[in-house]
Amino acid sequence: MKMTGAEILMKSLLKEGVEVIFGYPGGANMPIYDALYFYEKKLRHILVRHEQGAAHAAEGYARVTGRHGVCLVTSGPGATNLVTGIADAMMDSVPMVAITGQVAAEFLGSDAFQETDVVGITTPITKWNCQITHASEIPEAVAKAFYIASHGRPGPVVIDITKNAQFEKTEFNYPKNFFVEKLKTVNKYKKEDLQKAAEIINNSKKPYMLVGHGVLISKAEKEVLQVIEKTGMVVASTLHGLSSIPFNHPLYVGMLGMHGNYSPNKLTNSADVILAVGMRFDDRVTGKLSKYVPKAKVIHIDVDESEHHKNVWAHVPLIGNVKDVLKSILPYLKKNNHNNWLEEFKKLDKKELAVEKKRQLKNKNKLTMDTVLTLLSKKTKNEAVIVADVGQNQMFAARYYKYKNPDSYITSGGLGTMGFALPAAMGAKIGAPKRQVFATVGDGGFQMTIQELGTIMQEKLPIKILLLNNEYLGMVRQWQQLFFEKRYSFTHMKNPDFINIAKSYGIKGEKIEERKKLNQALDKFINFQGPYLLEVKVEKEDNIFPMVATGTSVDEVRLE
Amino acid sequence: MTKSDLNNMRYTIDIVVENKPGVLYRITGLLAKRKINIERINVFAVKGNGISKMFFTADIEDRIVDTVVKQINKIIEVIEINYHKANH
Repeated sequence: MKMTGAEILMKSLLKEGVEVIFGYPGGANMPIYDALYFYEKKLRHILVRHEQGAAHAAEGYARVTGRHGVCLVTSGPGATNLVTGIADAMMDSVPMVAITGQVAAEFLGSDAFQETDVVGITTPITKWNCQITHASEIPEAVAKAFYIASHGRPGPVVIDITKNAQFEKTEFNYPKNFFVEKLKTVNKYKKEDLQKAAEIINNSKKPYMLVGHGVLISKAEKEVLQVIEKTGMVVASTLHGLSSIPFNHPLYVGMLGMHGNYSPNKLTNSADVILAVGMRFDDRVTGKLSKYVPKAKVIHIDVDESEHHKNVWAHVPLIGNVKDVLKSILPYLKKNNHNNWLEEFKKLDKKELAVEKKRQLKNKNKLTMDTVLTLLSKKTKNEAVIVADVGQNQMFAARYYKYKNPDSYITSGGLGTMGFALPAAMGAKIGAPKRQVFATVGDGGFQMTIQELGTIMQEKLPIKILLLNNEYLGMVRQWQQLFFEKRYSFTHMKNPDFINIAKSYGIKGEKIEERKKLNQALDKFINFQGPYLLEVKVEKEDNIFPMVATGTSVDEVRLE
Repeated sequence: MTKSDLNNMRYTIDIVVENKPGVLYRITGLLAKRKINIERINVFAVKGNGISKMFFTADIEDRIVDTVVKQINKIIEVIEINYHKANH
């Protein structure tokens, strides 16, 4: 039976197990939306308020489920609005499938209404993309797109479908057992290299494991614990590795990087072995590269071969799925402990704690971001999903919420996209409806995608929005204070009445300005059935520390 | 001659790719984003088997050439890639 390309697309998405689409209709994808009208029961469609919201929602969905996040937009501005979200997914290795409508094939290249070279624009920010001009090409393109997005290192793909291909009628044949040869084998590590790596670890005095996003992506949380518990290796996490190890594990020392904890940064350069697990030595983690891990032998596990030696030379690169590599290396590792090494961390932790105590005393009756997040963590039994925006709120959420379960801290780490949290929280809630989902946002980032309150209203998504309002672009202000002699150049914000805005969208909320109201406000916020905005007027000129300033080494980490 | 010029070596990168639109763009994009200028390029389709061969010559810093080649090798349509120091 012949059917339209648009219907073939619906059937292809169902073949791939798609349940949710985040999208926005427009001229060049109207045939697809017409087909969707008949598939509404099988494919849940979430109408966002701006295409960027669709991309971040798809990311949030993918990050909590491990499945593909799908978005559907029209040509021209629909597609260009998606660009930030695609770039974000590329940087953070998120399996996203973006479907864009395109003008009819006969108009391609003619500067037709709402025509943009989407394949051209998205080439540098996708793992793969293609343009479809005939309905018959759709099934294989979809199969290929889904395969590529999730195999090897995950990433975004774009399928651009011209309007004539959406209308055109043909038979539907979906490819069976489709694969892409290039991505079929991801484990390329050799037994000799595993043995070599194990020997280095077995002979080390100060072994240090750095876990990254790859642990969560490959669901290797259990294997990480097996390796550290057997070897007694100390472990720290990158921003994206957060929640892969329970916060209270005795061998876990905290977060690495620019605003990570003190001891994990300070002692990085003392390690004699670095076991990097699914992380890519981002500049925010390494600080000054030329002074990074001078004494250590580096063992680097990554599924992406091009990450090996990119920033840090690896003595033993192991190419493969993190979970599989850890499973394979475990038998070669000897039982050991490194209590003296761990003790060095504990000693420095006391220094950080002392500064922390001082800070708490100073802020005793004040509303600060750390107070709010610490209390939120306690009141939610450390079990919620925190979707953090970008800036100070992101770092406070990373450091003061105590992550117990995997996939609980979701943020834009690589691209650092302000406005990420609100739409990503929508996707996360749809992907994990049984978990409590909180979006932590600042007053700057909130206003970058604030229109998604409309989506939350329409879909009745019970998302909790924690707005930490300091009336500044806080992270930039902090840098202006520390490195630009307090010249607060265009970082102050005159803000609207956020509670009233939420109210207009039918979303309940409360604003608090006093420390003594926090406890009760948080209880109401957490227990409210339905979406809720809690605005906390926090200290205006508060800073996040420790800090590894740009251009300095990780062992020069500042406590205050 | 600046210091960075001294660290640049002339390399030739030989690539076998699926003969599809946009592949050359993807490869040259990866070079352009690192400000690598192509000194010579030769591309031709191999008759009958759906592949193309590409030869690039460019001055590339020694410390990044391996990563650049590996990044090109991530492109789905790239079938085979080799690089070596050019004679001229």
